Amino acid sequence: MNKFSAALNVHIEQVREWGQREVRPAGLEADRNGAPLPPDHPYFAGYVDFRRRHPGPVDDGAVPEGPAVRMAAINEENAYWDRGMGVAAPGPGLPAPIVAAAGTPEQREHFLGPFRGSEIPRWGSFALTEPSGGSDTTAFRTRATRTDRGFLLNGAKCFIGNAARADWVLVQANLDPDKGRSGQRSFFVERGNRGMTGIKVENKMGLRAYESVSFILEDCEVPRDNILGGERPEQTSRSSAYGATMGTLNTTRVGVAASAVGLARSAYDEALNFAKQSGAFRSIRVRDRLEAMHRQLRAAWLMTLRAAWKADSRIPNIVDASMAKVFAAETAQDLASAGMEIVGLEAGAGHHLVEKLFRDAKALNIVEGTGQIQRIIMARHLVGLPR
Amino acid sequence: MDFARGESDEIIAETIGRFAADELRPRLREFEAARTVGESVRERFAALGFEALDIAEEAGGAGLGLLARVRTNRLLAEADAGAALALDRFAPAIYVIEAFGGVEPLKSLGMNLGQSDLRFALVTDPGAGDVAGVRVAGHVAWIPAAPADVLVGLGPQGAWVLKDGFAFEPVRGAALHAAGASAVRFDGTPILAWHDPMRAARALARIRIYYASLIWGVLSDAAGFSRSYALDRVAFGKPIAHHQALAFLIVDMYVAVARLGLLIEDAAMAIDAGEGRAVGAAAAAFVDAIEASRFVGPNGVQILGGHGFMRDFPVEKAMRDCRALGLLAGGCDSAREDAGAGLAATISERIAA
Repeated sequence: MNKFSAALNVHIEQVREWGQREVRPAGLEADRNGAPLPPDHPYFAGYVDFRRRHPGPVDDGAVPEGPAVRMAAINEENAYWDRGMGVAAPGPGLPAPIVAAAGTPEQREHFLGPFRGSEIPRWGSFALTEPSGGSDTTAFRTRATRTDRGFLLNGAKCFIGNAARADWVLVQANLDPDKGRSGQRSFFVERGNRGMTGIKVENKMGLRAYESVSFILEDCEVPRDNILGGERPEQTSRSSAYGATMGTLNTTRVGVAASAVGLARSAYDEALNFAKQSGAFRSIRVRDRLEAMHRQLRAAWLMTLRAAWKADSRIPNIVDASMAKVFAAETAQDLASAGMEIVGLEAGAGHHLVEKLFRDAKALNIVEGTGQIQRIIMARHLVGLPR
Repeated sequence: MDFARGESDEIIAETIGRFAADELRPRLREFEAARTVGESVRERFAALGFEALDIAEEAGGAGLGLLARVRTNRLLAEADAGAALALDRFAPAIYVIEAFGGVEPLKSLGMNLGQSDLRFALVTDPGAGDVAGVRVAGHVAWIPAAPADVLVGLGPQGAWVLKDGFAFEPVRGAALHAAGASAVRFDGTPILAWHDPMRAARALARIRIYYASLIWGVLSDAAGFSRSYALDRVAFGKPIAHHQALAFLIVDMYVAVARLGLLIEDAAMAIDAGEGRAVGAAAAAFVDAIEASRFVGPNGVQILGGHGFMRDFPVEKAMRDCRALGLLAGGCDSAREDAGAGLAATISERIAA
């Protein structure tokens, strides 16, 4: 199960070559600058060109791996070179599957169409988290109210990836608070909307290569056509904004797990190379530690692949996905921290890659469902933990 | 082990605690950005009379012992570990001189309080003590310090002291920025040099406890801050501290910090009393501090979720500071080695007895 087809391996090799040549240096540049690379940085145009030349396997039956396994494999390789640059990559991003699943044909064409074959970098963005609630989606306070021309959005969002450079942000808001979570809908807020104010790019400990943006929605006018899925009175769980969002998060948890494995592998390689070059590898304690790191890394990768394989096989994988997410994220943190110790004062000097990985890794146990949320999810399924 | 604290301990704690809360904590990020605490803060701290409080009275210190130092360090580091280092112009380098040469070398270096504003810095030099008195040379990638006047090198075989022949180069530094961050290159003839592995081990034990106590303070703050946050923050209709996953985590963090504090104070008392177990106990406490750092540091961030990752809150700084402190004094693996060796020696002694 953990060996890939030749076709997928070819694409992984393409990603590896691109990552070594372009992604790693760009990620380090952003980290040293303490800010994401600007949208007009040549890296992004190069990325668009790379993706056009190497789109990777598609669902045409040419490769045996399903989309979840392919995503895991590519995410792992991307994150090995730089997790932050992976998130900063141009494209519709996280909302793409949501729009594809729940958008009207017109919305799919209008909002996703410009990304197809685009020769310039474009970004989409998805705004879920709020200052008042990250994991607790029922605590969201952003409200949508109907007007003659469409909707007015009021609220605040935080830690939103790529929002300051996106063509549009898909904003989650509650149109009918009396219905609780099922009252939530998603709205496209397009670039230049004057109701989207107070845009602030956060100053982060790590993953500085991509924007985490906070903003306020203040009487933000949205046309009637910009409510995801249209204003149909009957909403199936699949097409409702909430259902589409939660379904996407279940899928992307495996992707985050794979990214964590990639980051952890990078930390392991840095530690191993340093130990060999410095002579520390002769120490049995260092070798013991590297062996434990390698074992943990391997287990995290197998968990991730199993969760992805179950998704592709349409086998319920909620527990597997949560387990992979939490274990891989903690593995990334553990290995980066242990890598700091093996590299020692060179890491303390703040110039070594493993020091950056240590700062980057922490976020992976926070984003898209913290480690605690994953444990609650697992506990609900495994021991019936009450809500 | 004596858990009681005397009246003088309480007075010191109250004074240091107030200074840390009033002078250091509110300026946490300012110090970090400036890479110094500034002269005025240094002067106000010196005026409290707690500089060199664990150095022998004959050398101008207060002679209160290492236990008083670790309790002070804990309080200062709860506010800002980098500032705690910046405010101490003697330790831990001075421990090496005291361990090898005693009071006289300290006096000869102009250590006496009020008579000098010399700053000391410490590097670990694996070759120190191999050949006493000849030229020493090397490079250390990072120490959490600004340029100093006296450089002390410590290795497993001995130590040396340089007054010339070394240069500090500023580096970015991973953490503890209020103390400065420097690479150190040295190539000179020591004014003092010693070959004595036993004294080297005793000096290292004190140094390990010094850094461990700073980690203790950092972790105490990380656990306390995140606990308070969890009691304020509401999710799913109740404080997040009341959710089982976080409630258990908060308890585990509290236990880890309390356990660390006990080990540190126990080792400090063993050192002050000159007990044979002191070296091993200090090494074990240092390892425990590093292991607690791995648990409490990242989880302090974790409890705050996305907010913890932002520099608006101190928990991300705590995570970096405790991680960096654990790289010092030879790091975790050598301490684990010494902790094991110390344990073996104790068993051997028991068998011999």
